[in-house]
Amino acid sequence: MRVMVVDDHPMWRDSVGRDLSEAGFEVVAATGEGAQAVRIAASVRPDVVVLDLQLPDVSGVDVTRGVLAAYPGAKVLILSASGEHHDVLGAVKAGATGYILKSASRAEFLDAVRRTATGDAVFSPGLAGLVLGEFRRLASDPAPDTPRLTDREAEILRMVGTGMSYKQIAERLVLSHRTVQNHVQNTLNKLQLHNRVDLVRYAIEHGLDTGRQ
Amino acid sequence: MSLQAPLWRSIAVFRFASLIYAAVLLAIRPVFYEDWGWAWAVIGVMTAWTVVTTARYANPARRTWLLLAADVVITALALLSTAILQTHTATRIGVMPVTATWLAGPALAWAVVGGVRAGVAAALVIGACDVSLRWPISGAYSSSALDGPIILLLSAALVGYVSMLSVRAERALQRATEIEAASRERERLARTIHDSVLQVLAMVQRRGAEAGGEAAELGRLAGEQEAALRALITGDEQPLAGPGELDLSAHLSREASALVSVITPADPVILTEQAVTETSAAVKAAIDNVRRHCGATARAWVLVDDEGAAVTVTIRDDGPGIPAGRLAEAAAEGRLGVSQSISGRIKDLGGSADISSTPGSGTEVRLRVPRAVLPA
Repeated sequence: MRVMVVDDHPMWRDSVGRDLSEAGFEVVAATGEGAQAVRIAASVRPDVVVLDLQLPDVSGVDVTRGVLAAYPGAKVLILSASGEHHDVLGAVKAGATGYILKSASRAEFLDAVRRTATGDAVFSPGLAGLVLGEFRRLASDPAPDTPRLTDREAEILRMVGTGMSYKQIAERLVLSHRTVQNHVQNTLNKLQLHNRVDLVRYAIEHGLDTGRQ
Repeated sequence: MSLQAPLWRSIAVFRFASLIYAAVLLAIRPVFYEDWGWAWAVIGVMTAWTVVTTARYANPARRTWLLLAADVVITALALLSTAILQTHTATRIGVMPVTATWLAGPALAWAVVGGVRAGVAAALVIGACDVSLRWPISGAYSSSALDGPIILLLSAALVGYVSMLSVRAERALQRATEIEAASRERERLARTIHDSVLQVLAMVQRRGAEAGGEAAELGRLAGEQEAALRALITGDEQPLAGPGELDLSAHLSREASALVSVITPADPVILTEQAVTETSAAVKAAIDNVRRHCGATARAWVLVDDEGAAVTVTIRDDGPGIPAGRLAEAAAEGRLGVSQSISGRIKDLGGSADISSTPGSGTEVRLRVPRAVLPA
C-alpha cells in the first residue's frame, strides 16, 4: 500500500514514515511542503496521504483539494494536533475522509491508515463533533438543497462524538457494524457533495466557469 | 506622517493669500499712506518672512519656540509700522493696517503647536498691538476697532482646539498600532510554539504510551502539558461573544486533559454568562463524579451539540456503569448529592439533566440548556 506523508516537522515526518515502513506500508514520498505534495501527487500515486494541516506554505484545505484533483485515487487522512477546528472541517469538506489526533497511539494510527485505504471514513470523536456542528449550522439555512441529518445519523454522530466505538454503537442500537459505518460515511458524503455544489455555484455566480478573462 | 501636517499646509496657504490681499490693498489705496514707498518695503519684509516661516514650519524638528517668538515679534513690528506709515485719519476710521489679515499667521501657528492657551496668548499680543494703533478707542469707530482682534482670538482658540484633537487622535492611532503589533507578535509566538514545543510534547506522549511503565507516566504528563499549552496559546480568542455572553466551547475546553476529551463544533457556542458558568460547573461536577466512581484511569468525553434552540452537553465515561436500579434507589433515599448539584444548576437555567447507564458502555449524563432568554 502506497502512502505519502506530508508534515513540516521533520521529527514527526520521520517517525510516522518509520512506523508505516515497519508495518509494511510503502512510503512513496515524505515532504514538509504542501505545494510539493500537490505537485508530485500524480506521479507518486499514493493510496493514502497522511496530512498535517499546519504547513508553512499552503493551507491544509488547499493541499487536500489539490492532491485529490491531481490524483483522485488518493484518500486523505488528517494526522493533526487538536485545536484546529476550522481547518479540520475545511479539509474534510474538501474531501479528506479521516481525522486522527497526533496523540493517538501507533496502533490506532496504523489502523486508521488501513481503514482509510479501504475507503472507510475514519471518525475520531472530534471529527464527529465537527461534522455534527456543521450540520447544525446548516440547519438554519432554508435552501432546499442544504444537506440534513436523519435522526438516526444525528444519534450515531453523537455516540461517536462521546467516544463510543462502532461496535458499541452497533450493540446499543441493534444494528450491524457495517450499517453504523455506512451511516457515518453518509454524513461525510453529504457534506462533501454540498461543498462541491457550493463551489460550482460560486464559480458560476462569479463568472469563473467561462475561463480566464 | 503627522495628522497635523494638513493644518500647517493650510496655515501656509493662508499666509500667502493674506500677503497678496495686503499688497492689493496697498496698491489700490495709496491715499491712505504718508509714506507709500516704505509701506512697500514692509510688504517686502512680510514676503521674505512668509517664505522663511513656511519653509521652517513644514519641518517638525525646526518648529522651535525661538522661531515662534520671532514670528510674533516680526508680525507685531510690521503691524506697528502702520502707526508711522499710514495717515492718522485713515487709521482712526478703521482702514486695514499694512499687514491686513496677514497678522493672524503667528496666532494660528502658536495654536497648532501649543493648543488653545498658546493660540489665545499669541492672539492677545497681536490683538493688543492692533488695538494700540487706534487707541484711545471712542465714538463711531469703536466697535470696528475691536472686531479684528476678537475674530483673531476666536480663530486661534478654534485652531488650538482642533490641533489638540488631532494630537489625541494621533495618540489613539499609535496605541491601536501598538496593540496590533503586540497581537501579531503573540500569533508569531503561538506559531513557533506550535511548530516546536507542542510537536515534541505530542511525540513524547505517543512514544511514552508505547514504551509503557514509567515512560507511560512521562508521556501522560507531556500530553497534559501539551493540552494546557495549546489552550493557552489559542484560548484568548473570543471575538464573537457580546457583553454578558461567553463561548461555552472555550470554557469547557479548559476541562480537557489526557483522559477527558472535549468535543465541540468549529464555531463558538455563545450563551449567556450565567448559562455558561452554571453549565461548566455542572460538567465539572460530572467529571469529578467519573473520577470518584470509575477510578483514576477512566476516560471521559464531553460533547457539545448546539441544536439552535437548545444546547446539549453529553458527558460519557467508559467506566463500569451504574447497576440498574441504583439510581432510582438512591433518589428514593434522598441522597443524590452529586447528581443533585448537576441537575439543580441546569434546572435553574430552565433545562433538564438526565443520567443513564448501560452496563458495559459507561454512564452518560445529558444536560439540555435552552437558549431562550431566561428570567434572572
